[in-house]
Amino acid sequence: MSIMKDPVLEMVNISKSFSTVEVLHNVDFTLGIGEIHGLVGQNGAGKSTLMKILNGVERKDSGKIKIFGKEQEYNSPIQAREKGISMIFQEFSLVSSLTVSQNIFLTQESHNIFGLLKDAEIERNTVKILKELDVENIDPKEYVENLSTGSQQIVEIAKALSHEPKILIMDEPTASLSSHEIESLFKVMNKLKKRGISIIFVSHYLREIFKICDRVTILRDGNKVLEEKILNTNLKEVIVKMTGKDQEFQVSRRKSQIDRSKPPLLEVNDLEVGNVVKGISFKVWHGEVFGIAGLLGSGRSEIINTIFGVHKKSKGEIIIDKKRVSINSTSDAIREGLAIVPEDRREQGLIIDFSIKENLLFSMINKILSFIFINDKKATKITNDYIKKFNIKAAGFWQVVKFLSGGNQQKVVVAKSLMTESKILLLDDPTFGIDIQAKNEIMNIISDFVESGNGVIFISSEFDEMVSYCDRILVLKKGKIDSIVDCCKEENISKEMLLEKIQ
Amino acid sequence: MRDNNLKTIRFKISDYVVYISFIGIFILFSIILFDRGFLSGQNLLNITRQTAMISLMAIGTTFVLSAGEIDLSIGSIVALSALVTAISLRINLNMWLAILAGLSIGASIGFINGIIVTKIRVPSFLITLGTMTIVAGLARWITNLEAVPVTNDTFNYIFGNGKVVGIPILLIWTLVFLIIGQIFLKKTSFGRRVLSTGGNKISSLFTGINVDRIKIAVFIISGLSASFAGILYTGRLEGARYTLGQADLLLVIAAVIIGGTRLSGGKGTCVGSVVGSLIMGMIANGLVLMNLNIALQMVFRGLIIIIAVSFSLRERKRS
Repeated sequence: MSIMKDPVLEMVNISKSFSTVEVLHNVDFTLGIGEIHGLVGQNGAGKSTLMKILNGVERKDSGKIKIFGKEQEYNSPIQAREKGISMIFQEFSLVSSLTVSQNIFLTQESHNIFGLLKDAEIERNTVKILKELDVENIDPKEYVENLSTGSQQIVEIAKALSHEPKILIMDEPTASLSSHEIESLFKVMNKLKKRGISIIFVSHYLREIFKICDRVTILRDGNKVLEEKILNTNLKEVIVKMTGKDQEFQVSRRKSQIDRSKPPLLEVNDLEVGNVVKGISFKVWHGEVFGIAGLLGSGRSEIINTIFGVHKKSKGEIIIDKKRVSINSTSDAIREGLAIVPEDRREQGLIIDFSIKENLLFSMINKILSFIFINDKKATKITNDYIKKFNIKAAGFWQVVKFLSGGNQQKVVVAKSLMTESKILLLDDPTFGIDIQAKNEIMNIISDFVESGNGVIFISSEFDEMVSYCDRILVLKKGKIDSIVDCCKEENISKEMLLEKIQ
Repeated sequence: MRDNNLKTIRFKISDYVVYISFIGIFILFSIILFDRGFLSGQNLLNITRQTAMISLMAIGTTFVLSAGEIDLSIGSIVALSALVTAISLRINLNMWLAILAGLSIGASIGFINGIIVTKIRVPSFLITLGTMTIVAGLARWITNLEAVPVTNDTFNYIFGNGKVVGIPILLIWTLVFLIIGQIFLKKTSFGRRVLSTGGNKISSLFTGINVDRIKIAVFIISGLSASFAGILYTGRLEGARYTLGQADLLLVIAAVIIGGTRLSGGKGTCVGSVVGSLIMGMIANGLVLMNLNIALQMVFRGLIIIIAVSFSLRERKRS
């Protein structure tokens, strides 16, 4: 490790335990002036805890925090802010019912002599802050709830900047952004860097780390395992350090030849949903993974949600195993052999305050019902089987899913959808925001499902994942089919090519 | 600022639902109740007089809902405050002290509501349902169900039947509180903090807003507004009774929701709430003019409120 001259921040020997579990063990972290420093690690590696300590949300058990060489003690985010540390959260911390400028200057409003608010002034100041970031398409008077996620992220940054921080912590800032929005975010980050603001960038997306960061620190199981200039390391090394194993980064599967002369498993003809999607026709064969690639808002989620009976279709027909089916509700869909892993696992996929068993209960109801009574023992047994089979890391079947990591929550959702003995699985971004190991495990489970002759429709925001995983990919542009590419035939189809097609 | 102009031009019908409904109902009643004197100046002033107390409570409730809470105890506070004021006047307490006594009832019940909601962290729906019952019980108990007449003419004039240049004093009170309420909610940092607390409690906390204090404050405001409504009832009826305010809760909440305040918090407008109250007043007045019996009036009032609230919430969801 290189000793930096004049670091903004030094965290020395930070340790932290929750009850008896040590989550951080003598971790050091340094940050230079105007540096963008990537912090990576799998879920549970301790990155969030480290950042919460830095931001004053959690208290460290031992260790020192020095800012500009001076040791500092604080124990709330507000005190942290006074020391020059601001954090931008993964889940937005804006008040959606207030306007852009009201949010940015919340609690820092200007008043006239009667003590009344001068909104015009904070609007002017908002324009100024946004201009410094080269952002011109955000109206300070617009309500935050009407903004795109990308714009909300920018407002979030502008809010943090109104406190003139020296250190900005960004926790998974790109997680819900489109690639275009990520580009603008990176521009803003580089702008801040030039102004001498130091940024800690926490992300699961390793490629982004290599694109934007100067240095990277890797945590594994509460220990620092690497601190290195980004130019002196590579993706492979980072992954090995993160996982502790030499692990295949790409999720991929063996693709076998599909006999397309046989009747397809699922056929969608001329599907139309409101004015969101139009004229969508495609077929999915037994043993096939069929991808739908498109930007957020292209209608990709609407397509599979409509097939699953969440939205009403305005037009079109759905044929499963040569039989024309009418799906008007999600229970119709399940009866026809469909299952879904929805986009938002916490909202749509799970009942977050219920235990693993309770979450799985409805999906296995047919197996555990004797007359009208639930056979509780059997339910526990089935749950335990799935916990084992899917390698769900939990204290037991009774654990409330809220307390599981993202990857393990997703495994519960997948278990739920596969339990109903479905033959067509609809996956809406199933690997979003989860760590590599859980991602691999989930994709392996799905590979097994496909290999036994079932079909999968797969949406992902990571296009390299789609290219390596899908047999064919439908390219969706503003609700219409642009093309359907065959990943087996077209040898050199790449992520970049796909990205270009969907724009 | 590319799309700036577009946005200012875009007419958001959802922001005007309450005004459109107001005009619609007004025109409808003007036509079908024309022969029964709906449009007469006397009747229109009557409506504003009858609605004054609802409007006042609606202004208080706007603050509570904006902060993401609800106060169901306002109806009972009306009765208890009215009785305390009336009793204080009967024992010949100074008029202003009597009013202070009435207001302190609302303020302290609001304070207690706020403390329990924020410190013990029980949903306000349950807490205020409890205080509603307790306070209603107290109101019955202190007078043994008897009415307390008020003979203080100054009081009855200022808080009930007086007129200033031909304008009923109750209308003036409504306007005064409307202006104060609207300025407080929209133009002070306190109001901004109320909206922010209701909009996103966690982020408000992290921004340095004392969320608990804001919540306690809105309950006090709500209690005070209900107390004042009780005092106005006492003035207008020249006496107080435990039944005062009993039927007002639904009207107030409906008025505020129709007015455009968000049930889940974060958005509120006192002007909308008062217009919503006027809609409630018009409906009540119209049903009386139609000569319906009390039972049928209740049935229709409930129906119309359900239709109006569903309509305005739907319209807003659509945009």
